[in-house]
Amino acid sequence: MSINPLVSIKDLKIEVRVTRAKRLSIVDSASFEIESGKIIGLIGESGSGKTMLCRSLVGTLDRRGAYIAAGQLIFDGIDLIAAKQSVWNEIRGKRIGYVPQSALAGPNPVMTIGAQLAEAILQDENFPKSDVEKRSLELLNIVQIRRPETVLKQYQHELSGGMKQRVMIACAIAQQPELIVADEPTTGLDVTVQAEIMELLKQIRKDFNTSIILVSHDLPLINEICDDIVVMHAGTTVEKIPSKLIKTSKHPYTIALYNSRIDLVEPKGQLKTINGQPPSVGNWPAGCRFSERCDFVKDKCRVKQDLPLIEIGSNHQTSCLRYDEIAR
Amino acid sequence: MKLKTRWANFKDWIALPGGFGIFSGLTMLVIIIILGIIIPNFGPYNSDDFVGEPFAGPSLKHPFGLDQLGRDLMTRTFSSVGVDLGVAFLGVSLPLVIGTVIGIVLGLAKNKYVLSLVGSLIDGINAFPLLIIAVAMLTFLGSGLKSIVIILAITNWARYARISRTRAVIVSKQNYIEAAKTLGYSKKRIILKHMTPNVSSETVAYALSDFILVIIIISGLSFLGLGAQPPTAEWGSMIADGRAFLTESAGLILFPGLALCWSAVALSFIVEGISRRDRGI
Amino acid sequence: MPYLMKSQALRILIGRLGRALSVSFWVMVISFAIMRIIPGDPASARLGAGAEMEAIEELRKTLNLNGSIFSQFTNYVMGLLQGDLGTSLQTGRTVIDIVSSTLPLTLYLIIFSTFFALLLSIPISTSIAWYAKAPIVYVFRSVTAVILATPNFFIAMIGILIFTVRVNWAPVFGYDPQFPQNLKYLWLPILVNTLIMTSVISRVLFSSVTETKEEEFVETGIIRGVGRRRFFWFYILKPSMAPTVVLLSYMMGTMLGATVILETIFSLPGIGRELVNAVLTSDYPMVQGILLIFGVITVFLSFTGDVIAYLLDRRVKI
Ligand SMILES: Nc1ncnc2c1ncn2[C@@H]1O[C@H](COP(=O)(O)OP(=O)(O)OP(=O)(O)O)[C@@H](O)[C@H]1O
Ligand SMILES: [Mg+2]
Repeated sequence: MSINPLVSIKDLKIEVRVTRAKRLSIVDSASFEIESGKIIGLIGESGSGKTMLCRSLVGTLDRRGAYIAAGQLIFDGIDLIAAKQSVWNEIRGKRIGYVPQSALAGPNPVMTIGAQLAEAILQDENFPKSDVEKRSLELLNIVQIRRPETVLKQYQHELSGGMKQRVMIACAIAQQPELIVADEPTTGLDVTVQAEIMELLKQIRKDFNTSIILVSHDLPLINEICDDIVVMHAGTTVEKIPSKLIKTSKHPYTIALYNSRIDLVEPKGQLKTINGQPPSVGNWPAGCRFSERCDFVKDKCRVKQDLPLIEIGSNHQTSCLRYDEIAR
Repeated sequence: MKLKTRWANFKDWIALPGGFGIFSGLTMLVIIIILGIIIPNFGPYNSDDFVGEPFAGPSLKHPFGLDQLGRDLMTRTFSSVGVDLGVAFLGVSLPLVIGTVIGIVLGLAKNKYVLSLVGSLIDGINAFPLLIIAVAMLTFLGSGLKSIVIILAITNWARYARISRTRAVIVSKQNYIEAAKTLGYSKKRIILKHMTPNVSSETVAYALSDFILVIIIISGLSFLGLGAQPPTAEWGSMIADGRAFLTESAGLILFPGLALCWSAVALSFIVEGISRRDRGI
Repeated sequence: MPYLMKSQALRILIGRLGRALSVSFWVMVISFAIMRIIPGDPASARLGAGAEMEAIEELRKTLNLNGSIFSQFTNYVMGLLQGDLGTSLQTGRTVIDIVSSTLPLTLYLIIFSTFFALLLSIPISTSIAWYAKAPIVYVFRSVTAVILATPNFFIAMIGILIFTVRVNWAPVFGYDPQFPQNLKYLWLPILVNTLIMTSVISRVLFSSVTETKEEEFVETGIIRGVGRRRFFWFYILKPSMAPTVVLLSYMMGTMLGATVILETIFSLPGIGRELVNAVLTSDYPMVQGILLIFGVITVFLSFTGDVIAYLLDRRVKI
């Protein structure tokens, strides 16, 4: 644990108003930290609350009727839970860049790419208008778009999926933010493009020392570019582990996620699927939420209790009750 | 016990999206139709009888008062229900049937020339505002409700045909139709069993909203003196007649107008309710 | 590449223009056919049973009813190409002359109502859709549904009851074409039209804003920190405008039809009232000519609407 992380999330609980009286908790007890210049992989199945967590970092939960019910959310010493509009104005787009989940629907359909880049660039009021085009071309070059002059004049429907994604990244890095939140930036793209985007994010981190939260379903894909992996299941963070140590994971869910894709490195690795469906929001089992799907489940896992992350190694935390018995 | 579960079912049904709209629209419609049957047929007066002083105000015997010729306004207002809704029903169902059939035929047709010819005809007819083409055709057919029904049948089908053709083309490309074809079902069977129900659900939905438009057109044409002819009681022409006597009695236009609104609003609540139910919001 | 793109947009617009022209052709065919598809001879119908043979023959000639259908049509088209829409049987003036003197008033009526309706619906529907407070949405939907279900002549009559019978603010008889005085006669019909158009437009705009605000790019805009005014225009209004513009152009056509009734009620000398007069006096060339004009205007309106929608939002298929 570092003394001064860029982002610190502690026991964060996000709820959504279903009706007037009824509240549903979508995320509860999410905890992790991000240090400057690190890439954190946030991983979990669909519905585990990854997007909600990302939105809490940019303050757009209320648009979906959700809100932070408890916990701590601190960005560079600023309490984001209590942040007013004026604080957000200083943070959004300037200090935190965001690449939305459905990046294919991310660009504005009624503005040219150039206009959107200009908009992102001019978030800095002092930026000279005459240099906007030059800076736009520079950004498009950074994200490795070919023929940037043409792309500036195009609309989003004229671009391929990979290009849209690159444009969204270009907009996100326009102000050289300290943190980029990339919510599944590669979903829906083909494999070669996925690898290129990963490479691009790595390069950006290297060149600008930006921290990145990289959300994905695909643990093997992001594992090599991330420093740390945070695993989410059913609204909770169940393990935080340095990516180098992923094979020594002490949580059955992480292990299952890692094995659920054919490992390209080890041809003998078997394709496994995770048992059953993730428990749906509101129907979380008492005790360990993975207990119903876990191969290692014991009675003690089903007892109603909170399962905090336990420090079990340097920078390695898990919530599994039986971590010391788990060995591959 | 049984009643109780029925009531509970009903309450669940109402709570679904659009349930309240459909329910209130249907209730309003049923009320005015019942009044439209009872009052002219079993009420004390005839819609064309002179029963008292012209412009007599509302009284116990004549709740809506009397019109400019001393006829009972309530009887006249409610005998219009059958005229307006009846003519509108014909004016919607004829184009509905004609348009749906033509649309399905076009959706299946292969002949390029026929397709583009009829397609252009449809576009051409739809280019005119319905009221305008109706007014123009009345010149040659002569005024009257019968002419209006004929005109609606020969112009309004084009709107249904457009919807039906689009739908038919989509349906004919769907898997189960392809499957039916490969299974060797006859063309007739495919059209009757698969195509028609699918296409007509769409055109019938449009017909419901078209009903409002058609009521407004019928009463509007009558208002212009081109539809219902005296002494027929009809909302549009009653309002047109009342126009000259606004200072004597506002009821002459208010009662038929409100009845007209009531019917159209009832239909529009139903239409909106159904569309909300379909979209599930 | 930019050259290619430009030509793509251009190709789409030219394609749409081609369709507008072909529909115009069919509009012309229908206006031509309308006098001929109905059983019986229009000339003898107009002159009545006791008419002389020569008079009927004379009228048939004026109405271009002699010769084969094909030659009649050629005559008709040749006339149109020379700007000849025929001559009114009632007044002896040329149809084109009457149209050009009555059409402007009708167009003013529509243009002003459209303008005010847009001015009202944009703030109303965007704010209701954006904040989406259930009771307000409910009231909004019900009120507009009721207005739309009410025929324009009834709304007009209520307006007259209030503003003409009680206080003489809106005279129903006579008309003064001079600029400031004409407003006295025009404001109530414009108000009635505006009310109806506002209901139509704001309903459509409401549903498209409701759809737009759920889209991912809106969130992207918020997170990018776009300023309020820019956000309103580029992230809410502009992406929602296309369906509204398409509908608006269609509605203006329908409204054009509805002015027939309004002009009769308020005795305004517009083209709509002219049409009703022509129908009542069996003035066939007038009916035919006005029908054609209405058709062509409507086609042109919907062409313009589609083009504007496309320019606003390239996702639109036209
Ligand atoms: N407005 C809402 N009202 C109710 N439930 C919601 C709302 N928004 C999201 N949820 C629920 O919250 C849960 C978490 O959603 P979230 O989008 O964060 O998942 P995710 O991990 O990003 O999944 P994915 O991988 O599919 O993007 C989901 O089960 C979703 O159904
Ligand atoms: Mg997500």
